[in-house]
Amino acid sequence: MLNNLEKNRLPLIFDMMASRMKKFQSFTGLLLIIIMAIILSPRQHGTGRVLFLTPENISDIFRQVSENGIIAIGMTFIILTSGIDLSVGSVLALAATFCAKLLTQWDPSIGQPVHIFLAIFLPLVVTTSFGTLYGLVISKLKVQPFIVTLAGMIGLRGFARFLTNNANLDIGFGDDVSSVFADLVSPKPVVISTFIVIAVIMSVLLSRTVYGLRVKSIGDNLIGARYAGLPVTKVLLITYALSGFLTGIAGILHAAQNHQGSPNDGISYELDAIAAVVIGGTKMTGGKGSIIGTIIGVFIMGILTNTFRLKGVDINVEMMAKAVIIVIAVWLQMPRQHKSKG
Amino acid sequence: MRDVSFSIERGEVCALIGENGAGKSTVGKIIAGIYRPDHGQLVFEDESLFSYTPLEAQSRGISLILQELDLFPSLSIAMNIVINNIHFKYLEKGLIRPRIINREVKPWLEKVGINLDPSIPVEALSMAQVQLVAIARVLSMNTRLIIMDEPTSSLTDDAVANLFDLIAELKHDGVTIIFVSHKMNEIFRIADSIVVMRDGCFIGKMLARDTDHDEVIEMMVGRLLSGKERQQSWKTNDFILSVDNLSTLRIKDVSFNLYAGEVLGVAGLVGAGRSELGEALFGMDKKIHGHVTLDGTLVDVRSPGGAIRHGFGLIPEDRKIQGLMMQLSVKENMILSRLDQLNKYGFLVNWKIQESVNELVESIKIKTSSIDAIVDTLSGGNQQKVLVSRWLMVDPNVLFLDDPTRGVDVGAKEDIYEIITSLASKGKGIIFVSSELPELLRCSDRILVMSEGNVVKILNTEETTQKEIMFYATRVLQ
Repeated sequence: MLNNLEKNRLPLIFDMMASRMKKFQSFTGLLLIIIMAIILSPRQHGTGRVLFLTPENISDIFRQVSENGIIAIGMTFIILTSGIDLSVGSVLALAATFCAKLLTQWDPSIGQPVHIFLAIFLPLVVTTSFGTLYGLVISKLKVQPFIVTLAGMIGLRGFARFLTNNANLDIGFGDDVSSVFADLVSPKPVVISTFIVIAVIMSVLLSRTVYGLRVKSIGDNLIGARYAGLPVTKVLLITYALSGFLTGIAGILHAAQNHQGSPNDGISYELDAIAAVVIGGTKMTGGKGSIIGTIIGVFIMGILTNTFRLKGVDINVEMMAKAVIIVIAVWLQMPRQHKSKG
Repeated sequence: MRDVSFSIERGEVCALIGENGAGKSTVGKIIAGIYRPDHGQLVFEDESLFSYTPLEAQSRGISLILQELDLFPSLSIAMNIVINNIHFKYLEKGLIRPRIINREVKPWLEKVGINLDPSIPVEALSMAQVQLVAIARVLSMNTRLIIMDEPTSSLTDDAVANLFDLIAELKHDGVTIIFVSHKMNEIFRIADSIVVMRDGCFIGKMLARDTDHDEVIEMMVGRLLSGKERQQSWKTNDFILSVDNLSTLRIKDVSFNLYAGEVLGVAGLVGAGRSELGEALFGMDKKIHGHVTLDGTLVDVRSPGGAIRHGFGLIPEDRKIQGLMMQLSVKENMILSRLDQLNKYGFLVNWKIQESVNELVESIKIKTSSIDAIVDTLSGGNQQKVLVSRWLMVDPNVLFLDDPTRGVDVGAKEDIYEIITSLASKGKGIIFVSSELPELLRCSDRILVMSEGNVVKILNTEETTQKEIMFYATRVLQ
């Protein structure tokens, strides 16, 4: 009797554990990566501390993932609608170069603070407008997001190069307006807190608002969303505009941190962002995913890079390792084939 | 489907007729080898067949032309004809030569009366032409038995006449044809014999010249009411919705009135325009002309969102494709159309949502482990209830239910009837589409019968019979 009971119970306990594991699967992955990083990390000269765990290194990781993190958050919303944005790398380059151009080649007779404000504000207006334009073409003309943003990826890269005549616009180190801008925007605390604030706001936006629920509904079942009377066009417009806006912010941080606006930066950033989103458990077909998952995905990629850098591993080996991690992470999160119908 | 037996002679045109879901298409698919029978046998040209693949069926001369034609849109006419029958004679040095194929398919195209360049892709053709290409394809495979599943459902009158001429010619050549349909007029125009099916059973076979419309209809519907009393009527004499000459691309000049507290049943066979009527009212289809008056005000609905604001709701026919978000929770699915009331500055108001969702889940008896359970894990009947409750939340004055009991179990069906009646008792106007006549007779006050996008007749439930409804539903208006 008891034996029987035990037998019935065991799978139940196993199921419970499995579902717990499932809920925090990407989190488990992050823990594993951190443990691996600690084990592999070299020691600091003199003190013998684990280099990976030093405050400088940890804040470095945060800084390094910030740009990809901000882009990936916008990408999460887009992928949740079952879309994609391939143009983020080009949009980042456009924002960075436009910002640098405004700072270095524009001399308005206004005060320095206003000049800096406009150098941040105007690029954001431009990138948000391009996002809105994608949303318009996708929802009204019904062209696939892949195609629309592929066109954007090509066209905006060209536009960024055209703006600067293929040149990198250096943002100086003196005390001119561009240096003030760089000093203002590039410090670690500014970059990291921008990332954290955006992550918190967007996470709330996705999980607690009408808009967030509509995004998931549209991605889950577009036809159903139309029958339910949801404002599909409006939601898609906002989502692509949001991605443009966030990528614009990443572009401005990029320009400040690198002290230049380069029209050739940001190549393959879209792939890093998409990788982070899928590692974080968001489904490419839409409808299911979370911001916290994406942030975990961003950190898994970031810590991996950091560990390899500390070890001095070749960047090409790093890419190969990332490829394996992406496939394993996504495979682990696929729904298993047992459903209870009742 | 159970114990179906009949026989057909060579060169006979046999019509297979029955209501929606009577098992007509299933019989066709079994004969063509797409489905396997559990038991029983098929004798074709003195040869007994039991289990075979569609390919084997084709090689013996049995072909099926599906309702939704299975051609390859971007391939040419000629390639579509030879595609599953590529022969060495079409090749030149191992490569496919369109020139040779185009020449080889000429006789078949002439046979079906297509005077087109065989290299035109099929997607550029009209429905009628595509149909003819499909026939040419089966003829090219040396077919002696053709099963056509509702071949006229998307054809114009001229095209139907052409098709019938072709059938007569094929019959003359000794080809046997099984013609699945539910259009009475057409059947009597071409069929030699008629096989009637109902609820998956064989009802009878007779010669077309020995019978008439009435007898066939009687055989089609000869089913008793499910034994339950008629639901109580709450009909009042106040108009809640008037539709006046409403036309879209798929419905023609539809006019009717709906009273507060009334359940208006909508009957009609597949393709009669029942769902399209709902979509027209719901602003999903572009209106060509006509007026809709809701609650005494003339409304111009251009989108589902607009329809909802005017107090009109629609529960779509296909729960999975048009209805639910399968990866979202019960709660999220239920509140989707009511979000404008459940938020404050765009933020979801959780206590309000919990309260209203819990109340509904309890009152309409949705069996779910929690309101946060993913909808996909629920049974079909409970999923349907979730979809219905999405609209109960919105609480529209007029609710259009498109076949809400399709594919749900008996218990859930009863619950859905209850919901309909209770809505009517609150003075709502209900439009209830169903393919099951007993259900319509049980729940509705009046029954609107549609055929080919037209309203053929509005019948009083008290005074009508299944037979009468079916008579109007199978009538093809000229």
